[in-house]
Amino acid sequence: MIDKEKILIEKEIPLLEHVRKTGKGFYITISILIALVLWGLYAYLTQYRIGLGVTGLSRQIFWGVYITNFVFFIGISHAGTFISAILRVVKAEWRRPISRLSELTTVFILFFGVGSVLIDLGRPDRMLYAIRYAHFRSPLLWDVCSIATYLTVSSICLYLALIPDIALMRDIGWKKRQWLYEILSLGFTGTEKQWRRLERAILFMSIIVIPIMITVHTVVSYVFAMTIQPMWHSAIFGPYFVAGALFSGIATVITIMAIIRKAYHLEQYLKPIHFYNLGTLLLAMTLLWFYFTLGEYITTFYGNEPSQMAIFWSKIRGQYAPLFWTHVILCFVIPFPILAFPKSRTIKGTVIASISINIGMWLERFVIIVPTLTRQRIPIESAFYIPTWVEWSILVGCLSFFSLLYLIFTKFFPIVPIWEIHEGRGKSIPQIEERLRSYLPG
Amino acid sequence: MEFKRRDFLKIAGLTFLGLMAKPGWEVVSQIKPLEPSPAPNYFTGKKWAMAIDLIKCWNAKDGCRDCIDACHTIHNVPEIGYAKEEIKWIWTIEYEKAFPEHIHDFNEKKYKGKPVIVLCNQCEDPPCVKYCPTRATWKREDGIVMMDFHRCIGCRYCMAGCPYGSRSFNWRDPRPFIKKANIEFPTRTKGVVEKCNFCEERLVKGLLPSCVETCKEKALIFGDLNDPNSEIRKILSERYVLQRQPELGTKPKVFYIL
Repeated sequence: MIDKEKILIEKEIPLLEHVRKTGKGFYITISILIALVLWGLYAYLTQYRIGLGVTGLSRQIFWGVYITNFVFFIGISHAGTFISAILRVVKAEWRRPISRLSELTTVFILFFGVGSVLIDLGRPDRMLYAIRYAHFRSPLLWDVCSIATYLTVSSICLYLALIPDIALMRDIGWKKRQWLYEILSLGFTGTEKQWRRLERAILFMSIIVIPIMITVHTVVSYVFAMTIQPMWHSAIFGPYFVAGALFSGIATVITIMAIIRKAYHLEQYLKPIHFYNLGTLLLAMTLLWFYFTLGEYITTFYGNEPSQMAIFWSKIRGQYAPLFWTHVILCFVIPFPILAFPKSRTIKGTVIASISINIGMWLERFVIIVPTLTRQRIPIESAFYIPTWVEWSILVGCLSFFSLLYLIFTKFFPIVPIWEIHEGRGKSIPQIEERLRSYLPG
Repeated sequence: MEFKRRDFLKIAGLTFLGLMAKPGWEVVSQIKPLEPSPAPNYFTGKKWAMAIDLIKCWNAKDGCRDCIDACHTIHNVPEIGYAKEEIKWIWTIEYEKAFPEHIHDFNEKKYKGKPVIVLCNQCEDPPCVKYCPTRATWKREDGIVMMDFHRCIGCRYCMAGCPYGSRSFNWRDPRPFIKKANIEFPTRTKGVVEKCNFCEERLVKGLLPSCVETCKEKALIFGDLNDPNSEIRKILSERYVLQRQPELGTKPKVFYIL
């Protein structure tokens, strides 16, 4: 067993490099991130002390950046499931090196999705009342249940797929953190029986996490769709939000892949083909997003209901037109041509498209939430909303904290699953051959 | 005796299910919210409502705000001083905003810009109650939509649910903005939602809501909808009545008489 692993290690040595070696770059990055997190914390403490009055929110527009962050972060969390679970279930072999980094994105960003709602509360000290006095007619409680389930299940998915690598870390004989790997490996030694169980567990979890993922963003959209506010009360919101979530999720994973590839020199593992394939998926999501957006706006327009139209026009040619058209450009006009042509679906091309989509999707959530509140059903012209430094600082703080957690994780565990690569090189090849044969006659 | 993992899981699972039975049942079987009122029987059979006689109201001197001041004083409503963080229980908006469906090019001259008193509509089917995740807002048997300032977590979902914009949020500590505190009514903390309570604290003493009592023009009529001889029933059956956005099915219990 040990010998086998030694050979394996020598072959996949670059995958352990980033766990083993910590350079100057790491310390610089981590210091910057910690500083930004502390800055965000300071902003939150200011808000906690004085009240939500320090934000740009007002009597009329009472939900803003925090709720936008909530929807956006929860949306990104769909990446992990989509890329890791769905590709695993459909046996797409190219998922191997990217499954862990997408699962990790899911688990870590979910904390900030939940955190954004808690930051938005007027009385965060009473947040547990939502459980103690739970009122299940409220769509917010549906969110609590569904997100808690999703967080649990996707953490289990991440952990299960981590066990063989933890066992490997334990066995290669580093003195450092040996005790930690000892505990976390749960006594996994790689016997036939253990592998069979593990694989069954991973497949099972991958299957159940898919419907859970769909419920998550559906009920997030229900927070808005269940109200009778114009341009929120829409039956299309469930699938529209899920499609948007996958869209921004894939874009985030592409961005993270590019950073990891560069920072940890994993060019051999995260190859142009991975960007190309994810770029193709992203292209499909771009079109799907466009289809849903068009469907949502054109039905509103054609119905011509006054309270809806007031919001509609404020987006199309009113106060929110600059933001609305920017988001259309960022979500469709820029990424679509880049992703549509195989020639530009390179690493650079997909990364540019992804960054554009991420900013665009944040704006999309914003232009869904805020314009409706400017009027609701009573026309009030004086409503305006300009987020303050507190809200921006907390957004930056959340993103930095997410990056910090991600970075720390890569100092404990390999970001590319070694066992999946190893399995792909070895025992999967005959299996795939056999599978392929079974598809064909004869 | 051998104790296998499978047995452990079975027993643990059954124990868990057993422990969950009671709370689970409570979730499904709609617990009746507790009535914090001092004399619960007092309210049974009553259904409070208000009618606002717009013609009488418009007869008052320009810029009359007697009812607003009376309400805001006794309920410790802070005077924040700027629109962004304004807190109000009763206030006026222009006719065309209160009743956009009743204004057209040909009656504009007569009605446009006229002030209409608005407050919580105390809906018979209140949307805000559905949305509250902690039951901090609920409808009493006598129809008053109540607000528990000590249970509100400040998520503001009720504000998103209310189509009338009747709810206000305490964006900061309201206490420094209260001119003269009424010690008989609670002040609020920062981070909770508040709104008109139909003066339930006065009704329990047999008094009329303070806005109704204060109005010199007698433009506000308050009473019990279940009593066929009440003044409000009489006026509602005789005069032409408007409601704000009745098409939403919230069944407002604040009526406007024209």
